[in-house]
Order: sequence, then C-alpha cells, then structure tokens
Amino acid sequence: MKKYIILASLVLLGVIIAFPLFSMTYYTMVRTSTPDFCATCHEIKPAVRAWRSSTHVNNAQGFVADCMDCHLPAPHKTFDFFFAKTYHGAKDVVKHFLIKEYDRKKNREAAYESFDNAQCQKCHRNLLAMPGKRGAMLAHRSVIYARPGYEKKCVDCHYDLVHSETMFIMYKQYQRLPYQAKGLRKL
Amino acid sequence: MRKKLVFILVGLMAVGLMLSGAVLSVNAQQNFPKVKEFRIERSIPPEAVACIECHKASNPGIFDDWARSRHASASITCLDCHLAQPGDTDVAKAHEKYYSQKDLPYGEQKYKVPIAAIVTPKDCSRCHPDEAIQYSKSKHANTLEIIWKLDPWLNKGMNSDNERKTGCFNCHGTVIKHDKNGIVDHATWPNVGVGRLNVDGSKGSCTSCHTRHRFSVAEARMPEACDQCHLGPDHPQIEIYNESKHGTMYHAYKDEYNFNAAPGTWTPGTDYRAPTCAACHMSGSGKVMGTHDVTERISWETQAPLTVRPQDFKPFPAGTDWKVEREKMKNVCRACHGDSWINDFYNGFDKVVEDYNEIYFKPAKAKFDELYEKGLLDKTKFFDERLEVEFYELWHHEGRRARMGTMMMAPDYTWWHGFYECKMHFANFMEEANHLIETGEKAYVAKDFPNATGDTQKPPKIFGNK
Repeated sequence: MKKYIILASLVLLGVIIAFPLFSMTYYTMVRTSTPDFCATCHEIKPAVRAWRSSTHVNNAQGFVADCMDCHLPAPHKTFDFFFAKTYHGAKDVVKHFLIKEYDRKKNREAAYESFDNAQCQKCHRNLLAMPGKRGAMLAHRSVIYARPGYEKKCVDCHYDLVHSETMFIMYKQYQRLPYQAKGLRKL
Repeated sequence: MRKKLVFILVGLMAVGLMLSGAVLSVNAQQNFPKVKEFRIERSIPPEAVACIECHKASNPGIFDDWARSRHASASITCLDCHLAQPGDTDVAKAHEKYYSQKDLPYGEQKYKVPIAAIVTPKDCSRCHPDEAIQYSKSKHANTLEIIWKLDPWLNKGMNSDNERKTGCFNCHGTVIKHDKNGIVDHATWPNVGVGRLNVDGSKGSCTSCHTRHRFSVAEARMPEACDQCHLGPDHPQIEIYNESKHGTMYHAYKDEYNFNAAPGTWTPGTDYRAPTCAACHMSGSGKVMGTHDVTERISWETQAPLTVRPQDFKPFPAGTDWKVEREKMKNVCRACHGDSWINDFYNGFDKVVEDYNEIYFKPAKAKFDELYEKGLLDKTKFFDERLEVEFYELWHHEGRRARMGTMMMAPDYTWWHGFYECKMHFANFMEEANHLIETGEKAYVAKDFPNATGDTQKPPKIFGNK
C-alpha cells in the first residue's frame, strides 16, 4: 500500500513539474511560429510583407500557408521540426548582431537550397492529374518519378512566387490568366 | 382592245415569272465551296481562343502546323509558350494594338495578354525540364561561346556583321536584343540557331530541330533535321551519312520506319532498321538512356584543330569521361553489330585520329608557328595571307572530312575529300613555308581583303564586359 502511495506521489510530482514545462514549451513554440513573430526581425519584414500580398495568403479557399509551413520541416517530424526551429532561431539572433548587412539575394538562394519537396507536398499533394494543364502533368511526372540524375526541386521551376514585390494583392481567384511555372531557374 | 391589253399583261407577267424562275434556278444550281472550318470545343482560356482565331486568318501556316501537332492534341495552346512572365523585357508592345482593332475577330481589350514572340528553352523547360537540362550541357547550346573563343573570322573581324547574321549565326545563333519597346534588334532576328542566347539567359532554340509549330519528335529523328547546318566543305556530316551504309539503308527503308514512336521508346530493329543521326547521338538504345545533349556520346573532338578528348577541349571542356561515353556509343552499336565489328571499327578510327594529329596537323602547326615567330607571316589579321588560308583549310576542311568521314563510315570522305586533299594541301603548304624560311621573304598580305568589317568584341552577355 505504502509502495503505491510513493509511486503515485512520484507520478504526481512528475506531472506537476512536467506539465508547466511542456505547456510553456508548447506555448513558446506556438507564439514563435506566427508570421507576426517572424516579422519582428527587420531583416525578415520585407519577406513577410510580400508574403501577405501573395497567393499563398489570398485565394478563394481562404487557405493561408504560414512561414513555417514552407520554411521548416513538418511539425509531425517532431524532432526535425524542434531542432530546425531552435537552431534557426538561435542562429538568426546571433547573425543579427554579427552581420552588418542582410544579403537578400544570397539568402534567397540559400532558402531555395534548403527547400525539400516534401515541404511543398504537405499541401500540394495531387500533382499528377491535371487534365487542363497537361504540360504541368508532364513536368510534375519528371519530378515525382525522376530519372536518376535528374532529381528536381519544386522551387527549381516555381520561384519568385511568394516573396516578390508587387503593387497589388495577388488574389489567386481574380487572376485572369492561368498560372504558369517560370521554367528552370538555373537554365 | 381591252382583251388585247389583258393578253399582253398576262404575257409579260408570264415572261417575268419565267425569267425570275430561271435566275432562281441558276442560283440554286451554283456550287458554293464550303470554307474549311476549325472548331474549338476544348477547355482552353478565351485569350488562347482569341490567339487561335486571329492567327488562323493572319498566319494560316502557323495555325495549321499547330493544329496538327501533339501540342494541339494535349490542349497546349499559344499561351502556354508565348505568354510573357511578369517583368519580362521582351513583351511585344506592337502586338497590343490588335486588341483594340474592332475589325478583327476577337479584337477586344478583354482578350489582351502580354505576349513574347521568341520562345526559349527556358519556356520549354516548364513542361520538358529534363530535355532542357540535357540540352544546356551540350556543345549545341554553348556554341557561341566556343566559336568566339576559337574563330578568327569573328575575333579578327574578317567578315561583315551581316555575313555573320545570315551565315554563321544562322546556325550558331545570335545574341538576342530588344529595345525599350520590346522590339527585337533586327541584326539579331530572325534566328533559330542552336546556340542562340536569349534574353532570359537560356541558350539555344528547341525549334532548330523541332520546327515550329509542329514540334515533331518524328522530324527530329530524321537526318534531314540536322542537314541545314551539318553539311558543306567544313563538316559534311549529311553527305557522309548519305554515303555510309547507314544512310543507304535509311533511304531504302525509311518508309518502313516508325518515326512517331513515343519519346523514349524508339527502338532499333523494331522502329527503324539503320540508325539516323538522332538514333546514335541521342536516342536511348539497349542500356543507354536517351539524351538531348547531342555531344554527350562523343569520344574524340573531330572538329577541333588538334583532335582531343571532349573533357580536354579547352574552349568548352565536356563534363564527361570519354571512356564512359565510348562505351555508351558501343552499346548503341551493339543493337545491330557484334563486338569484333565495333572494336575493329574503333581501332581504325583511333588510328586515323592519331595519323591526322601526328603526321598532318602537328608538323603543319609547328611550321605555321615558326613562320609567325620569324615574322614571315603577319599576325594582325587572318586569311589575308595565302598560307593562313591553307593552314586553316588543312584542319577546318579536309582534316575534318578525313576524321568525320572515318567516324561515320564514308570512305570517299575519308580518302578523296579527306586525306587525299590533306596530302596535297600539306605538301603545297610546306613548299611555300620552306621557301619563305629559306629566302627570308615575307608572305604577300592581301591589301584588298573584302568586307572585313565585323565587330571584334566578344559578346558581353557571354564573356562579361572585358
């Protein structure tokens, strides 16, 4: 009997310590995962501003892809997600003080390099059946069933899509012309 | 009297009726030809319908080609390739006026779209990325850089800009320029050269081989697709091919060839009997995968002055290993030939290359350099002294014919158009060179060399502003 009491109180103690710890971590993660939080750094502000007027925010579905939806591993890859987020957060703070000027062009390239197709394909999953866009079907097949040596990234063709300076809000549903990928960026 | 009047009136009416009846029956009998129509019942954007309807009238040839293409079958319309991207500098401003021309079908503002006339490999890469990547690595795509590094006609300004536009650059490609209004520089257009430098930075033109607006795979598989450029005294590949047994068999059996096999499925023995240019240099065969890098499977640079391996070709070193590439080419041969045939053929070819390099080219080059060193030849220009022309033709004309004739099995090009001419030129060249060296006499410089007015600045878009 006594044994159970000790055991139960140990569990209770664990919960008392762990619950606030977990919930605070969770709360921190949620607070630091919003575009508003990303925009607190002046280096990132223009990127967030451009994103706000892009089709990743303005579409008929009302769907919004946040910064971390594209720029971090999926949250269900818990370890990767936590590690990448903490690492980038810490690195950004250090770099903020060390680097004189933020090189937008260089960082854009670095972002393209870091993108994994899986990040895009979290949302864009049905890419092979597009009867109205057979060219896109053909191109997507060459990515999803890539010939060895010809592995490609989504961002190789779909670039300057979100963080491009525009005068207007790019409502996807009001775009008159069909969206086209731009072709291979490095060609 | 009254009776008579009625009679006349009735008679006139009868004649009138008969006449009108005759006119009617003439009309009814006339054969009105029916206008050939093309209906579009597809899910394509109304802007694309406007393109098609208007250009069907203004350029029926373009329209008809497209209508017969596989693009049309797949509902790939004008817009998929010609729609300009935001920020493009080549938007055709002059085209926009048609959208307010009321007498045109679809001449309405609501159909207005930004259009670029020139379609580039980058545009094609939207749907055909692998082909575009492969092509970008080829000597085809980079030929402008190569000729500007090597060629004395360009670097010494020995021909005129228009001779270049209508001659050299027609195959090699121009550096496309636009003015502020999106109007293309007339000195750079029209052009579908394989190495055309486009405003978006991509190199080449897919329509060199897949001509507009059919973009046919079948056409590019035929040797006729290559023969606009690969002919003549300096690289008679099509003549060589036609002389070879491969060419003979192609001409005899081409009506049996299945040129329309789906991309990546064209199979020797099944779809064709003897290979065409594309069959050996591009198409997949056996374990070898197909490629749009036409220069990939090459193991000797038979067009270079001194024959070298592709990875050692200084103006544009290939990212390949010649041993791997030769094995690929042998694999292609194996579809129809046994190993001893293939290996013994390559032994003969390698020997020809060695002979050309060691017996013909190197001694001539050494003598040529000696003439410059001793100041007997003048370095300021090229082609204005006879020995320069003779040396040039030794490697650029008959030297190539001998090597290429061997590689593609045309004995007449190896010997009579090749080594025979090399021997004669070599002997004459040496005779005159030795004469100058012995007497110390300077070579005659042609003072009246015509039309040597071309720009000698290497294109800054390729070489930077040096």
